[in-house]
Amino acid sequence: MTNFRTFILGLAASFGLPWLCLIVLPAMQYEQLTPVAYDKDKDGVEGFFPPAPVNGQGQLVYIREGCNQCHTQMIRPVQLGLDGWYKGWGQDQEARPTTPARPNVLGDYLGEKYALLGIQRVGPDLANFGWRAPSKAALYQHLYSPRSVHDWSTMPAYTGLFKLQKIQGPISEGAVKLPRKFAAPAGYEVVPTQEAKQLVEYLLSLKKDYPVPGQAAAVAAAPAKK
Amino acid sequence: MQTTPAIPDTELQADNLRRAAIDKSVKGPVLFLFTNGAFWLMLSTLLGVLAAIKLVEPEFLGDCQYLTYGRLQPAHINALVYGWGVQAALGVMLWIMARRSGQELKGGKSLLITAGVFWNITITFGIIAVLMGKSTSIEWLEMPKFVWPVLLVCFLCYAWPIVRMFSRAFRPEGFMVSTWYILGACFWFPWIFITANVALHCLPGLGAIGAGIDAWYIHGVILLFFVPVGVGSAYYFIPKITGQPIASAQLASAGFWSLAILGGWTGMQKYMGGPLPAWMSSVGACAGVLLLIPVCLVGLNHHLTTLGKHSAVAASPTLRFIFFGALFYPVSGLVLALNSAFWTGANLQFTQSWYAFQTVSVYGFFSMCIFGAIYYIVPRLSGCEWLSVRLIRNHFWFSVYGIGTIVIMSLVAGWQQGVDLNDPDHWDQTFMNHVINSRPYVVSRAVAWALISFSNLMFLLHLLLMVAGLGRRSSAPTLLEHDHDDHALPHEAHA
Repeated sequence: MTNFRTFILGLAASFGLPWLCLIVLPAMQYEQLTPVAYDKDKDGVEGFFPPAPVNGQGQLVYIREGCNQCHTQMIRPVQLGLDGWYKGWGQDQEARPTTPARPNVLGDYLGEKYALLGIQRVGPDLANFGWRAPSKAALYQHLYSPRSVHDWSTMPAYTGLFKLQKIQGPISEGAVKLPRKFAAPAGYEVVPTQEAKQLVEYLLSLKKDYPVPGQAAAVAAAPAKK
Repeated sequence: MQTTPAIPDTELQADNLRRAAIDKSVKGPVLFLFTNGAFWLMLSTLLGVLAAIKLVEPEFLGDCQYLTYGRLQPAHINALVYGWGVQAALGVMLWIMARRSGQELKGGKSLLITAGVFWNITITFGIIAVLMGKSTSIEWLEMPKFVWPVLLVCFLCYAWPIVRMFSRAFRPEGFMVSTWYILGACFWFPWIFITANVALHCLPGLGAIGAGIDAWYIHGVILLFFVPVGVGSAYYFIPKITGQPIASAQLASAGFWSLAILGGWTGMQKYMGGPLPAWMSSVGACAGVLLLIPVCLVGLNHHLTTLGKHSAVAASPTLRFIFFGALFYPVSGLVLALNSAFWTGANLQFTQSWYAFQTVSVYGFFSMCIFGAIYYIVPRLSGCEWLSVRLIRNHFWFSVYGIGTIVIMSLVAGWQQGVDLNDPDHWDQTFMNHVINSRPYVVSRAVAWALISFSNLMFLLHLLLMVAGLGRRSSAPTLLEHDHDDHALPHEAHA
């Protein structure tokens, strides 16, 4: 029986150590994290970092649909990948940004229940999508019928987030504008549901490259207001 | 009776009777788990085909909201892991432990069956919920919150008698490497499962740390549950069928303990360069590469044990599956190392090579070993032999070619995706090149899953016939060559 006891002790020790160091202690430390105030003199900005939490209701739709299967929300440092230099992947929307978008840090996901870092990158990264997002109308069109935007797109059409309804009187204000080939049948219009609106709000709120307090690079990239 | 010539007939008979009694005591729960697992495997492979098609052609089957890739893929993986993987593993663990410790399952059979029923019902609800849009988007834990406590209790219902049997065994003859692995699996799985679920479902929100914990959980379940069960059954069946003792006790022990020590550290390298503290992903990457050590030790040991008995691989269905499963173990270790090392991982991150790792370890390695075990165990429980050599052969070849295709294609596709992502020519382009370049690989994945579904359909039918007691009535086992020659493999017939 002593043999059995040593065996179990060995298992507990060999697994307990990584469990403690990798999971328990970092999780406890993370629970202590709170938004950090910017130093006006050093950082050149005021307020708190991260500035605003993401749109929670819209994130629920994002989670429900499993968007993270194909879209990441994580910019890697330049030594690992080109992410930061991709056009429009940071705040700077210029074709040739002067500095790459900064890699993400722990604080960027503060206040999120679970950071949707993503599984595969079948589609473009969305960490800073809010900066490059087209108009809401264009976003609705993309969600309703991705192939009307790019004919090679493999994104599913989230028609379930929209309502096909009979036109009564004039066309509704929020109706999705579609090219003729993809348009709704005559006499009908496509309007976004509450969920689609929330999802779009969430996508627009994705701006995870605010300057990090106390980082020199953050000052260089200090934002011009959009 | 090659190996036991000295034992008189009566003693041999007593031994056989004792084995038959043990088999009879675990028959109900084990067959229940196997058949239900086979159903889930079938479903999972079909979902795999559908998900791969959807990834290429999202308009396939119309715009059905329940069948988008974002919902199908988690349903496919969850059915594979919890429906088939854990369930079949529990069946094999229970049987091997009963045999290995010479203990009958005393009482509690109805509890085990009930736990099995609950397991299946819960997963059914969980997967339907994912398809209906209740997914949590936490990889491998996509099923809603209510699922995990039920699964945990059901798992413990099985783990308890397995540990009890071990502690009651009075004969630690020789070393018991397969029992170590199985005990380890009983012990690690609940720990990992509780940690991940409590952290991700009950704590107020761990942000990016939560994503790291999830990656750790996936690696933990693979390395500290699926791998031990697969390796444990390989350690049990290879010596049994080749009739040779395990080549080296030292290798076996070193392989086990290095896995135990390294397994818990790996996982967070999935988010290398991400928001997690850098040391966490670095430790994960180190462990991911160092895991090549246990992989090579075990591989070498299996190789030495099989040496000179390769004719048995051709003849015995059990050994054939386990031999190829054991071959996939080094392959999965290699894929893990490629994904983990920063040198290659930076290119393979967020690509299909992640899928390659999951499938090669869960299907290529683990499931192949479990198929082998099932081909050995079921005839002893149902009292009849496998009906058709052809069905077994087809199951084997379609599975091997199918999974080989998926793994190779996903790895190459992963490399291609990584190169595309880091190609400076693409920095101001849309994602068109990435999407178009990875398309052929996903098509081949769909075809390969279709082949595997076909092979599993045969497996399922064959298994159902066996469970219904409609197998061959014969004392000779079904062998793939030597056409039912009694003398080819004495162990198969009597063990």
